[in-house]
Amino acid sequence: MASNKKDKNNVGWQPKIVAFLCNWCSYAGADLAGISRFQYPPNIRVVRVPCSGRVSANLILDALKSGADGVLVSGCHPGDCHYISGNLYARRRFAILKSFLEFIGIEPDRIHFAWISASEGEQFAKLVTEVTKRVKALGPATKLVKRLPEV
Amino acid sequence: MEPLKIDKENLKDILQVISKDYKTFCPQKTDKGFRDWRIINRDTEFDSEFFSYFDEVTLPKSSIKPFFFPQPETLLTFNYDPKAEDAFLPKQCLDKEPDKIDTVLFGVRPCDARSLILNDMPFKDDPYYNIRRKKIFLIGISCTKQSSTCFCLWTGGSPLGTDGLDIILHPLDDETGYVIEFISKRSEELKDTIFPEKFCSKASQSELDEIAARKEKSKSALKSMPNLAEQLKQKELMAVYNAPFWQDVAMSCINCGACTFLCPTCYCFDIQDEVVKKRGRRIRYWDSCMFPLFTQHASGHNPRGDKVKRVRNRFLHKFKYFPDRFGPVSCVGCGRCIKECPVNIDIREVIRNLLAVK
Amino acid sequence: MKAFSERIKEEAKRLLEQKEVEAFIGFSKGSLPMTTRPFVARTPEDTEKLVFNSFCVMNLARYLPEVLKSLEPQRKPQDPLPKGPLPKVGILATGCWSRNIVVQIQENQIDRDRVVIVGIKGAGMIDKRKVFAHVGEKEISAVEEKEDKIIVKGPEYEVKIAKEDVLRDNCQVCVHFDPVIYDILLEAPGAHEREPKIERFKQIEEIEALSINERWAWFTKEIENCIRCYACRNACPLCYCPTCFVDDSRPQWVGKSIDPTDTQIFHILRAFHMAGRCTDCGACESACPMGIKMRLLTKKIEKDCLNFFDTEAGLSIDVMPALSTYKPDDPQDFFITEKLFSKDSK
Repeated sequence: MASNKKDKNNVGWQPKIVAFLCNWCSYAGADLAGISRFQYPPNIRVVRVPCSGRVSANLILDALKSGADGVLVSGCHPGDCHYISGNLYARRRFAILKSFLEFIGIEPDRIHFAWISASEGEQFAKLVTEVTKRVKALGPATKLVKRLPEV
Repeated sequence: MEPLKIDKENLKDILQVISKDYKTFCPQKTDKGFRDWRIINRDTEFDSEFFSYFDEVTLPKSSIKPFFFPQPETLLTFNYDPKAEDAFLPKQCLDKEPDKIDTVLFGVRPCDARSLILNDMPFKDDPYYNIRRKKIFLIGISCTKQSSTCFCLWTGGSPLGTDGLDIILHPLDDETGYVIEFISKRSEELKDTIFPEKFCSKASQSELDEIAARKEKSKSALKSMPNLAEQLKQKELMAVYNAPFWQDVAMSCINCGACTFLCPTCYCFDIQDEVVKKRGRRIRYWDSCMFPLFTQHASGHNPRGDKVKRVRNRFLHKFKYFPDRFGPVSCVGCGRCIKECPVNIDIREVIRNLLAVK
Repeated sequence: MKAFSERIKEEAKRLLEQKEVEAFIGFSKGSLPMTTRPFVARTPEDTEKLVFNSFCVMNLARYLPEVLKSLEPQRKPQDPLPKGPLPKVGILATGCWSRNIVVQIQENQIDRDRVVIVGIKGAGMIDKRKVFAHVGEKEISAVEEKEDKIIVKGPEYEVKIAKEDVLRDNCQVCVHFDPVIYDILLEAPGAHEREPKIERFKQIEEIEALSINERWAWFTKEIENCIRCYACRNACPLCYCPTCFVDDSRPQWVGKSIDPTDTQIFHILRAFHMAGRCTDCGACESACPMGIKMRLLTKKIEKDCLNFFDTEAGLSIDVMPALSTYKPDDPQDFFITEKLFSKDSK
């Protein structure tokens, strides 16, 4: 879609957002959103991880390198982590990463972090709507995308 | 082919003439403060800083290796998209006009040019390298000063050496200009395009005598040097391999690849496929024997897992295995490894240690 | 400085003679002006080669784990450690290196009981590239240190330069110049006058003030010369992973060639892996053959760790590095759910 040369102003372009959701809270919350028929944009591609603490900078940058227009990482609320403290370590890691990526010139609205619990189906739908809106406003990702040179 | 002379002021004109027809590279100051090969284009400022390269002794940061052995070099491309015209057929990426010169390197030092003769030996059957050898034209400049890290004479090179060059410029003592010597056959064919008559004159006898005297001096200096390749070939392999000085040399090495990547005669590479969505390419990229992963086997065994083994291997390859197999030592004496090594491992000390082994 | 070199030789010789240590990590004279070589003295006679001057830019803590391991008796990986005390190693440590040693202890790479630290209150190190820039492309044949100046000699010229004009970037902003962990403490000449020359995060703030695309342009330009030699990674005392993420193949996080995206990701991830652990010793920048200022990336993360979590790397053995721990009230206002679903709008 992004390589459609006629679509110069990206009118038909839809962002692709990779969403890392922790298995116990956020993934369940997303599932609840689906069951409850809350509508949200279809642009997220979900990757289920055991805990938001497992999401390392390597994973987020790999998503950006592969061409993701946005990345969303969501975990349990602090204090509710299934593995006790995984999300607490993650919180520090994400703070540093977000600030650092903004420092080197990646638009801050491409990377988002969220706390979604298993019962927050409606909030998940609202979250994805908001994130998609913000990423769409930025246009296709160009900065850290790996491309093969034309030969 | 008669040598010509060119005045300093006309160098700029020559460069502008050449850069119209060919991609011309010359060592220029970068904003990091060092000189490196950069293309000459409309933005190039031909100021005193540009020309001071030809009078001083600086070597550009990189050798000419990236032109002949680029990283990455795409060997072939492939496409998994069934609708593409080259679907599932790997396409080898060889240049479509292999015999046409398209690049000129201006200002190559004799040591860097000599590295081509040395690299020709292992790359003898490599089509990618051989095509680049034909497509790139080298105009060198001989050295009038010696840097503290230069040791080309040890390895059989010379500050006025012509190995690997098509044309060489010799700076005159009075700093008015340069004598142009034509070396290769193809340089004669290009003489009128590159050095048109309006910018050059015939070199006078006194100028030619000056250069000849310099060459004599360099020849006698070379004669008085020990023949490194011969001496090292005579050393017994296991004596050199088990010599005790390797521990001391290797102690400070941090196993970065700086020496190997900047060395004009280090040519180790690895090949990997890169696939993005449905398109892929097979690339050749520089690898370094200093990296632990270089000799890692799929089983997990690593014959050169110890740092000292890797350091020893690099020097023995250059000064024992290569001469044993091909003849000359695989080193041109440019001194980049000495200048850039973060922990100051000095290859000259290693050579002395090697020569001292009984 | 020569007298101070002698002092270090004495200490090292004493430690080796009294068999307190079996190896002493320091520097020996380099073969070029303004260079020194990391050196391990294993006998009292070896200590004659030790020197210390304002060009000791490599971080000696980088060698500590491997020298300690080399002194352990040969054994297979599955054999237990032999009983009884293992050989000790002596090491020189300026402020930043001593903090690296603290982080190495915290991360269980070395044993505090096996290290004898000769702490040095130093006056900062000189960046030889700044000296080269000062004299232009002229050849330098010798450099001599004289109090607060250096005398640079070359063919047909001699010039005096004030040390503070050519001090390394990280030494100019350093605020923790005294070693935080040591067994013996020595003071180098000029150390008592030490103070930061430039405000600590000034360079970072200047970059933060640029617009987002200007910052991206700055970042890509800074990284564009990288040849992926990994000198920066290998010079760092805290890059000790047996398999670096760069060498991972399944999945492959970074490609192997000098493709700009791969190179950018390498530098981003390497800086990130230093988060909360980097002490700004500058060895990475000094080792880089292409003069890339990757220190600016790690400095930004250092600033964030200080502002967000009030922690600095290696200041005290009891305070774990920033990302190895957590507090219940860590900042989370950057979470989009905090903005979308604040307690009022629920």
